[in-house]
Amino acid sequence: MVNGFEVGIDELFVVNVARTIKDRSTVFHGVSSPIPMVATYFAKLTHAKDMVYFGGVSSAVDPNPPFLPYTTNDWVMIQGRTAMVTVDKIFDLAQRGELDRSFFSGAQIDKYGNQNVSLIGTPEKCKIKFPGGAGGCNLSADCVNYTIWTTRHRVQRKKDRVIYTLVEKCDFITNIGHVTPYGSRRDLDLVGNGPDWVVTELGVFDFDPETKVMRLRYLYPDTTVETILENTAFRPVIHPDVRIMDMPTKEEIELIRQIDPLKVRQLEFQPEELRRKFYI
Amino acid sequence: MGIFVERNKLTTLEEAAKIVKDGDIVAVGGGLCLREPIAMLHELIRQGRRNLHIVGTAHGFDVDLACGGGIVGTVEETHVSFEQDFGLAPNYRRACESGAVKIKESCCNTIINQLRAAEFGMPFVPMKSIKGSDEIRFHPEYKEFIDPFTGKRVILVPALEPDVAIIHVNKADVHGNVKIEPPYVADVLFMRASKKVIITTEEILPEEEMKRIGPTIPYYEITAVVHVPFGAHPTSCYPNYAYDRAHIAEYMRAASAGPEVFKNNYLDKYIFGVKSHADYIERIGGEAKMRLLASWKESREKWMELFTYG
Repeated sequence: MVNGFEVGIDELFVVNVARTIKDRSTVFHGVSSPIPMVATYFAKLTHAKDMVYFGGVSSAVDPNPPFLPYTTNDWVMIQGRTAMVTVDKIFDLAQRGELDRSFFSGAQIDKYGNQNVSLIGTPEKCKIKFPGGAGGCNLSADCVNYTIWTTRHRVQRKKDRVIYTLVEKCDFITNIGHVTPYGSRRDLDLVGNGPDWVVTELGVFDFDPETKVMRLRYLYPDTTVETILENTAFRPVIHPDVRIMDMPTKEEIELIRQIDPLKVRQLEFQPEELRRKFYI
Repeated sequence: MGIFVERNKLTTLEEAAKIVKDGDIVAVGGGLCLREPIAMLHELIRQGRRNLHIVGTAHGFDVDLACGGGIVGTVEETHVSFEQDFGLAPNYRRACESGAVKIKESCCNTIINQLRAAEFGMPFVPMKSIKGSDEIRFHPEYKEFIDPFTGKRVILVPALEPDVAIIHVNKADVHGNVKIEPPYVADVLFMRASKKVIITTEEILPEEEMKRIGPTIPYYEITAVVHVPFGAHPTSCYPNYAYDRAHIAEYMRAASAGPEVFKNNYLDKYIFGVKSHADYIERIGGEAKMRLLASWKESREKWMELFTYG
């Protein structure tokens, strides 16, 4: 018999991403980003009411969508807006150094936070094609900071091989983390400061200030440092005070369910991950 | 851009499609599941256009269809997928992985700045991003350069002037004045940067009515106008219709099963085997389907239903 209010992994994940958003900041989420879409709107309604909220590629300023849709480019996302801008204005903001946060992911994410959303192989001989980074290559360079998220941290064990998402080295770098084969962000003279948080379904990381390698900060109630090490191809830094993350409130979870009745927050999860439940 | 002053630019899909030549750089309007010029792509596929160099930002159905229809030689888009709705784009992936199309993947701000260079009549734009990303490997034409004013490293990206833009819009008049409902995506930039612009439109307005509501883009930027109601189907063209999720689901089943099934179950059924766009509309469910896709405006619940059927 379990007592308490049930929280799904998808809901806890949304809260973790929302916690990386500060009030009074400028925030934009991109395409193929259901979880950041829910998290950003949730943050706007809770702790970040004075956030300047660009609701995705539809480019509405501070929209109040009646629900969150399966595609980021739909009229739903411009309802209740204060104003429309064109998407180039959001990129202008970024290249001036005035876009505080965005959200990026990848089929591969390396220890410095570089991400591969492009391909396995080479541009001339592509073995596996991923969708492409959309605005990620530019914005990962220009945003003041950004959040990396993935719901695929857990290794996939196939018959003949093990596939990691968190890899030692990306086959191809689409979005830029802290250190690339072309140099560090400082060497490259980039506008922004790079990723500051990595939210996965197994833990929450920041970056070690010295080495710029991902550093474990928070675990879920059902994960351990061992879980992280088993599912990560590189050795992350472990923060001396690593602990279980704070749980959200019942009211926060109810708000997520209210703004996201179609459960777009679950689209990125493997069905077996969605069986993970927590109680508050 | 060109300047087009003809008083009556109204033409047919068949004639307008002939403006697009084999090998042209073609800007395809809309994005992801919104307001893409699908009827025009159908016509280009029917006419057997080849080796087009498609440019754009984050797209989905259109680029996948164009790859599956065999009209594409190079893809210079920033993202091609059906998002988490239906996932990866099957025809696009196959074309990239088989080498049937050349991949010149780009990034949204890079494409936008390149289009703006064309719009401004400038030869290139210096960018502070791209450095550190392997995206540069798709683009030997980019040049690294030291900014003579600050001494900092920048990447020069050349102006991008598409030969033709194909854009589906809400309203136009025969002179070429165009009204688009937001989101505009990159459409206004495409119209300003491209040498020629073909418009397909849901509605033709009398010129006096267009004056009253005020066009988004004035006539002199537009080369040809074609009246094609439901010309963006199965992508959305609000306020007229939401996207047709059931049709996209059918498309995905055919496309995921391989090129042969895609040809038999989709291309033959909806493109090669139809007599006209009106015939296409009948095949996808006719007026009843169109009424359903317009039902988003009745209530929040009706709108939500359109995201769950299919």
